[in-house]
Amino acid sequence: MGEINNKYNAKEKKEIFDAEFLAHVNSLYNFAFKLTLNEDDAKDLLQDTCMKAFRFINSFERGTNAKAWLFRIMKNSFINDYRKKSKSPGMVDYQEVETYYNSEQGDQQREITLDLRAETVKDMLGDEITNALNAIDVDFRTVVILCDLEGFKYDEMAKILDIPIGTVRSRLHRARNLLKEKLAEYAAKMGYK
Amino acid sequence: MGRTLMPNHRCPDEEKFIKLIRLMLDDQTTDEENKYILNHIDGCYRCYDNYDLEGAIRDALKSNGSKLEVSNELVEKIKGKIESE
Repeated sequence: MGEINNKYNAKEKKEIFDAEFLAHVNSLYNFAFKLTLNEDDAKDLLQDTCMKAFRFINSFERGTNAKAWLFRIMKNSFINDYRKKSKSPGMVDYQEVETYYNSEQGDQQREITLDLRAETVKDMLGDEITNALNAIDVDFRTVVILCDLEGFKYDEMAKILDIPIGTVRSRLHRARNLLKEKLAEYAAKMGYK
Repeated sequence: MGRTLMPNHRCPDEEKFIKLIRLMLDDQTTDEENKYILNHIDGCYRCYDNYDLEGAIRDALKSNGSKLEVSNELVEKIKGKIESE
């Protein structure tokens, strides 16, 4: 335990922070904003994450995947400190979503998404894409962000979210179905063909 | 190209191939699996459309995400807090 506490001296800690952590500050900020949907909360979450990363720097192995390590800290900070005051839509019970998808109503809902065309998505404005993503529950939104925006692999996502890889896979699949539904809804509302 | 299903026909394995297409686009499949998936897409309009759609959604997300940049002021503020730790 003594070894971990004294792993890096003050100079090394600063070097690691500047060279390995700050490189990801923009990605972290974007993730924070997509979690909180509020600029001030995102800045606070970013600062908290950086402070925690520095405080626990001795448990970080130099030269390893700093981005995944930092995203995990941010995810945990969000759950512990920010989720309650997040302005995102109310959390949906996973079991509820799973049950819905297995029901007849779920099948009917999925019919709508079958009419969504690639050409329609290509024509949609950036805001519409962002709004569709932000409209899905934060836990589903998170996996899409980590995979499609930040490029994390499934095993990295499993570590960040502290869930089995199988759960990453199934959660992503459901998240993408939800996103397609939202995109189809927006497309229909906006009169896209 | 010889796609066996007409454009408006449903593919009986559509759900299965949507999952496989997503895994393939996420680099979670083997070369053998990729050949299997692409071979099916080549012969099925429905699954080809789904493949096209999945790609379009990913491209749209990438080109519209991660646009925010942290101000120098905030970076300095963070560094200042670290210094006083």
